[in-house]
Amino acid sequence: MKGHANGGSAPAAWLAIAGLVLVVAVPFAAVVLQGIFPNLGQGSFSGPFSSFVATLNDSALIGMAGNTVLLGACVVLASALVAVPLGVFRALYRVPLAPLWDVLLLVPFMIPPYIATLGWIMTLQPRGYLQQVLGFNLAPFLFSLAGMTVVMAFNTFPVVYFAVSRTVEAVGARYADVGRVFGATPAKAFWRITLPLSAPGLAASLMLVFAAAIEEYGTPAALGRRAGFQVLVTGIDFRISDWPIDLPGASIMSLLLVGLSLVTFLGQRWILSRRSYQTVNGKPTAKDKRPLGAMKLPVVLAFAIVSFLATGVPLLSILATALSRTISGGLALDNMSLDNFALVFQNSAGALGALANSFSLGIGTALITGLIGVTAAYTVVKTKIRGRLAIDTLTIIPNALPGIVVAVGLILAWNMPWLPATPYNTPFILLLAYCCILLPQPMRYAAAAFQHIGDNLEAAARVFGASGVTAFRRILLPLVFPSLASAMLLVFALASRELVASVVIAPVGMQTIATFIWRQFEQGSIGLGMAMAFIAILITTLLPLLLLALLRRSGLVAE
Amino acid sequence: MFKSLKSLTLGVVAATLLAGVAHADITVYTAGPQSLIDKMSEGFTKETGIKVNVFQATTGKVMARIEAEASNPVVDVLISASWDTATDFAKRGWLVSYTSPNAAKVPDFLKTDTAVAQGISALGIAWNTKSGTPKPSEWADLTKPEYKDMVNIPDPAQSGSSFELTAALAGQDDFKLFKDLQANGAIIAGANAEALNPVLQGAKAAVFGAVDYITLAAAKKGETVEVVFPASGTVIAPRPAMILNWSKNQDEAKKFIDYMLSDAGQKMVAAQMLMPARTDIPADRPLIGDLKLLKFDNAAVYGKRKETLGEITKIFGGK
Repeated sequence: MKGHANGGSAPAAWLAIAGLVLVVAVPFAAVVLQGIFPNLGQGSFSGPFSSFVATLNDSALIGMAGNTVLLGACVVLASALVAVPLGVFRALYRVPLAPLWDVLLLVPFMIPPYIATLGWIMTLQPRGYLQQVLGFNLAPFLFSLAGMTVVMAFNTFPVVYFAVSRTVEAVGARYADVGRVFGATPAKAFWRITLPLSAPGLAASLMLVFAAAIEEYGTPAALGRRAGFQVLVTGIDFRISDWPIDLPGASIMSLLLVGLSLVTFLGQRWILSRRSYQTVNGKPTAKDKRPLGAMKLPVVLAFAIVSFLATGVPLLSILATALSRTISGGLALDNMSLDNFALVFQNSAGALGALANSFSLGIGTALITGLIGVTAAYTVVKTKIRGRLAIDTLTIIPNALPGIVVAVGLILAWNMPWLPATPYNTPFILLLAYCCILLPQPMRYAAAAFQHIGDNLEAAARVFGASGVTAFRRILLPLVFPSLASAMLLVFALASRELVASVVIAPVGMQTIATFIWRQFEQGSIGLGMAMAFIAILITTLLPLLLLALLRRSGLVAE
Repeated sequence: MFKSLKSLTLGVVAATLLAGVAHADITVYTAGPQSLIDKMSEGFTKETGIKVNVFQATTGKVMARIEAEASNPVVDVLISASWDTATDFAKRGWLVSYTSPNAAKVPDFLKTDTAVAQGISALGIAWNTKSGTPKPSEWADLTKPEYKDMVNIPDPAQSGSSFELTAALAGQDDFKLFKDLQANGAIIAGANAEALNPVLQGAKAAVFGAVDYITLAAAKKGETVEVVFPASGTVIAPRPAMILNWSKNQDEAKKFIDYMLSDAGQKMVAAQMLMPARTDIPADRPLIGDLKLLKFDNAAVYGKRKETLGEITKIFGGK
């Protein structure tokens, strides 16, 4: 394999390939082999393809696949409707209290979806918090496709919001201003220049939302089952949890999900490949934003309402539950206490250990996926190496693999008796699982950032004698660093709360935040689980903000 | 910046390595409550010096892990929440025959050559006393108009004991009770904890077939719920403990079973509001002798599992 373009690509490419093989290809190959050879778990290759017929003949499968796509599409649409207008206003205009809205819209990332869903249930169900405060409930709405869409969209739309506000800002008013000079109306300049140029970021973020929506387990399981709405992931989970366990069937259904995700991914590539989106070319850009004028009040109101629904409602519900002595006591002053929080800090049931475990795993995952992501994105976008489509595809697969399938794949791959050493049954297996599941985040963000950087910048550095590695380190990396850093912070937050894979694959005796919360729920200690959730959300929100502030001070991240 | 990234990565790697080197003498997979296994392994280690490594999850997740590990298994002792596991594993020839000397006071129907119950849970009606509904005393009471739209049923597909209750009751009147429940607005509401939560908040009045010990523990904490065991009968779920034949630590595993059935171990079971397997250990709750059990043919019921679940799905509507 040799790099044609700007030299120096070989080390990056090899690093990316090695990382991807270890983190993605190994467990994925195990899943594929499990689908083909049903007795792989016993170490036997007998009866190849015998599970395909039984699994694919299941009449419920088409319904589940249809529901999956429908739910994914609804969530994408709802997320875009909420996030794109807000993101555009945030990027182009001086929105009052802008940093506050950014923080408030960041919080939904940090709320684990299953916790947010439970929060919504406890708020909207009959005699829930809404009824206790205002006297009515919205249960029929909640347990429906519409309810599921809204709950999931409020969880995922920040991905789109931050992608849109950042890329539109990067594209800047500059190109639109050129259009204005040549006589375009503001609306025309926006639709014909700013929006199309922001397409990479928008498409990438919508794809992440779609992939997250079809892979999400907690919300469809909690809300969908009551609406009779089965999706592929709940079907896969059923095959894995119901004795006799059907691992081959679950693997085959997962491959179907991977197929769905790849189709979206190819669609996104097709949009991007039609033209160039290079907007960062070394010329100075003015970052002046326009005043909102008469739009000020409605825009602020929109930000406030969305922030309240996405962040306020789930957080208040979590807090109310955590502060309640008993659930049946409801919102009464004499039912409020700090007992549950005290229990967490007294290390009840290993709460503090779980926090420490999750945060160190989160940091490790962020660093590793950041490194693999940035090298893979560089290889795919900036070099002409053969096989870069394969690299790109490898980074997309985990998006569609349900967490539980990644876990099973990792066990199958790393628990072979002939392996001399194995990460299985050590914390490393969790690190591998999180890296696999979350790799797409830094990869997508870094790739979108690289799309915007003109090739001439790297070429100029090379002309002045910089080596390929130096050009990458001194020119390209600083330019993509803001995107990469936010993706890595996102990975940290997502890794420290991952549930589905952790439950199956956690080494014996080790707890993470999510498995701790889940066990409390299982045993009926909802308040203790919610107290832990609240503390975890607080830390995962404040820690990255602190880090960003520090980076800003040191000048590593602009604005 | 790469340099600092590198050193940070190394630091994390080193830290996780150090955390992972602890070795345990036996490995226990359990579908029982985490706090029970925590206390039991602590007491066991204190008495024998043998360390216990624990993996706790639901029966389904524990089984998924054992199935995926099948080529290189690590589990020594398995405690399932469903007796069906013990029957199935014995049929596969995966279990070690062992009768603990402490099992003498365990009734015959709670032990086999290869498995013995740790404790027993039963199903009952979990009812919120503040729900404004009259206290139910029979399964059929929940089909009355007072409970319209106020009843949750745990998913029989997700819980072994719920399935047995469903099959036993459905066998008596050919699913009429379940059709009446559905007509009265009852819904299938996920696994056990998921079905109970809305009853605590008051969104629902009662769970039809709730696992008793979780509800009793909630009541002990001050939640306004009660467990009613219908006089017409209910089902129990003994939780079998077994030693796997691939275990390299079978002597230690046998000691663990002994400890589980000792006075101390059985008192821990009782403290979780489960029924102890030994009849001579007192507990602050109704025991097997106080309950009437539904009669059903276990083999026949499990033989028709798919049909029964299919009928339930049809009644409660997978749209």
